[in-house]
Amino acid sequence: MSGPHAPAHEPLAHEPLPHADAVQTIATVGLQERIARDTFRLVLECPEIAARIEPGQFLMLRLPGRDDPLLGRPFALYDVGSDGTSFSIGYVVIGKMTRLMTELRAGDQVELWGPLGNGFPKPPESNAGPTLMVAGGIGQTPFLAAGREILGAAAYGERGRFEASAHPPELLYGARSAEYVAEVDRFTSRGISVSVATDDGSEGHHGYVTELLERRLHADPRPARVLTCGPEPMMAAVAKLCEAAGVPCWASLESPMACGFGACFSCVVRVKQSDAAEGWDYRRSCLEGPVFRAETLVFD
Amino acid sequence: MTPTADPPAPDLSVALGRLRLANPILVASGTFGYAREFAPLVDLSTLGGVVPKTVTPQPRTGNPPPRTVETPAGMLNSIGLDNDGVDHFCAHHLPYLSGLGTAVIANVAGKSPDEFAAMAAQVEQAGGADAIELNVSCPNVSGGVDYGRTPEGAAAVVSAVRAACDLPILAKLTPNVTDVPSVAKAAAEAGADAVTLVNTFTGLAVNWRTRRPVLGNGIGGLSGPAIKPLALRIVYQVAQAVDVPIVGCGGIRTVDDVLEFLVCGASAVQVGTANFADPTVSGRLVKDLAAAMSEEGVLSVRGLVGTLGPAKTAQAVGTPSSSRESDR
Repeated sequence: MSGPHAPAHEPLAHEPLPHADAVQTIATVGLQERIARDTFRLVLECPEIAARIEPGQFLMLRLPGRDDPLLGRPFALYDVGSDGTSFSIGYVVIGKMTRLMTELRAGDQVELWGPLGNGFPKPPESNAGPTLMVAGGIGQTPFLAAGREILGAAAYGERGRFEASAHPPELLYGARSAEYVAEVDRFTSRGISVSVATDDGSEGHHGYVTELLERRLHADPRPARVLTCGPEPMMAAVAKLCEAAGVPCWASLESPMACGFGACFSCVVRVKQSDAAEGWDYRRSCLEGPVFRAETLVFD
Repeated sequence: MTPTADPPAPDLSVALGRLRLANPILVASGTFGYAREFAPLVDLSTLGGVVPKTVTPQPRTGNPPPRTVETPAGMLNSIGLDNDGVDHFCAHHLPYLSGLGTAVIANVAGKSPDEFAAMAAQVEQAGGADAIELNVSCPNVSGGVDYGRTPEGAAAVVSAVRAACDLPILAKLTPNVTDVPSVAKAAAEAGADAVTLVNTFTGLAVNWRTRRPVLGNGIGGLSGPAIKPLALRIVYQVAQAVDVPIVGCGGIRTVDDVLEFLVCGASAVQVGTANFADPTVSGRLVKDLAAAMSEEGVLSVRGLVGTLGPAKTAQAVGTPSSSRESDR
C-alpha cells in the first residue's frame, strides 16, 4: 500500500497503486437493515475484501445482470465483521442505484471490486491527543472502523493492530434532523464518544456540527488531528477551522466516479500545485484520495 | 461416445494492415487509463493490445467536473483529454507499456495535421509503440474532431502522419457525421492501415430543475450498451463500402457482442465503457471468444469477419432455434 501520504503526482511504474491488492468478485448479501430515515446498513459476505480493506478505503458495488444501472457506485467501509469474512457499508437513498439497493435481501448477490483508494492515516502515537472525527450525514460511516482502529479494538488489512490511544476518538456528527441520525449506539457501545448536532435542533446541538467543532478545538485535551467526511461545504468549513487552530485535518471526499481505480478520470478534484498555471491541478480522487490532507485541497 | 482428439485451438490472430495482433480484443482509448491501473485486475499480456488514453502535444487540465454521468444503459462523458502531454507520455508511460507483452497502440490528438505528425514521429522515435491511433473524433475538445468530420480533413491528418512515421496507423472516426463511409474511404486512401469505428455519439444530459446540463462542460459523448446497434450499423455500412480493416467499438461487454461486430465486418474490437463497470472483462473476453469459437467449430477469427448475410424475410425464417436468441 502506498498509504495515506501518497505523493500528489501520478504513480511511477514501480510505485504500487493504492488498489494493488484489489479484486473483482461476487459477494452475497448477509443482512440489510434500515438504520435511519432513508438510510441502510448492508452486510456483505466477501472474505477477499474483508481481509484487505482498511478504514477510509472504499469499494465499487454493482448490481449484476443489468444494463441499467450500468456502472458501479463507490461505498466506504463501515466495518469488518468479527469473523473477518464479511464487511458492512452504509448508504442513504438518493437515486436510482440506492433505491434498487434497498430491495437487496440476504442471499442476493452483488458484484464488487476493491479495496480501492487510500485510507485514513494510521492512528497517532497513543499519548497524542484525541482524534476528532467530524461527520455530516452518511459521512459518519467511515468513522466506525477508523475509531475502532484508534482504540486498538480491531485490526484492518495489513496495517495490523495499533496500541490503544490514551484518548478515545470523538465523533462530532451533524444531520438534518433526529430521524436521520443513524446508529449512535454502535459508536458509543464501542468506546467512541458521540456529539450530535441537527439543523432543526431535534437532537443534540441545534445548529451546525462545525459549531461543535469550533468549541472542541479550543478545549482540552487538545486534539491531535481531525478527520472529516460529509458534504463539501461542511468539509471546507472544517478545514478552515482546523487551519486556524493549527490542528492537522484530513478530508475524505465523495467524488462521483465511473470506475474507482483511475481509468475514467471523472472523479477529479482540485489539488494545490505550485507549478500549475492556476496553482492547482485536477487529480483523481480514487488514486490520490479519497482521503486528502485538507490543506492541499481547493474547495469551491 | 467415441473418444475424439481435441479440436485444434481456434486461431485468434488478426491483421490490421501492417499491424499483427495475437487476438482481436483491444481496449478503447480513454477507458483503460495507461493500462497500469488495470494491472492488479487483468493479465494484460493476454490482450490483443492496449490503447492508452489520448495524449496531446501539451499537457491539458481537462474539463471541469462532473465529467461523467450515467444515462440509461450508457454513460455520457466530457473528460476533455486530461493528460500530461506527449513528452511525459514518452518518458513515463511508454516504457511501462512496452514491457506488458501486448501490442501498444498509442492514441494521439493534435490541432493540425502537423501536430499529429510531430507526435506520431516523437512516439515512434521514443520506441515501444506498435501502432498509432489518430483521435480525429473526440467530441469534447475543439481541434481533432473537426478533421474527422470531412473526408478531406481525415485524409490530411492521415497523410501527414504517414509521411512522418512508419508505424501502422489506425484512424479513429466520429459517428457524428452523415456519411462515415466516405470519411473512412478517405482515411484508407491516405494510408490508414485500419479505421476504428466508432468514437462516442454526442449527447446531452440535463437537470430541468436547475435548468442546467449535468456535465460540467455541457454536451458530452455517449458510450456503453446503448450505442451498440448504432455502432454495428456503421461498422456494417463501412465494411460494405470500403476495403479497409475495421476495429469495431461501441457497447461491447460480452462475447456475443464481440462476435456480432466481427460478422458485421470488424477485424478486431475495442472494449470501452465495460472496463469501468466490469474491470476484468477484457481478459475474460479473450478466453470467452476462444471458447465460443471452439463450441461453434469456427477455426479462425479471420473466417468470421464480414460474414453477415442479407436479412431474411419473415417467410424465409427457418433457422434452428439454437441460433436465435429470443427477446421474449
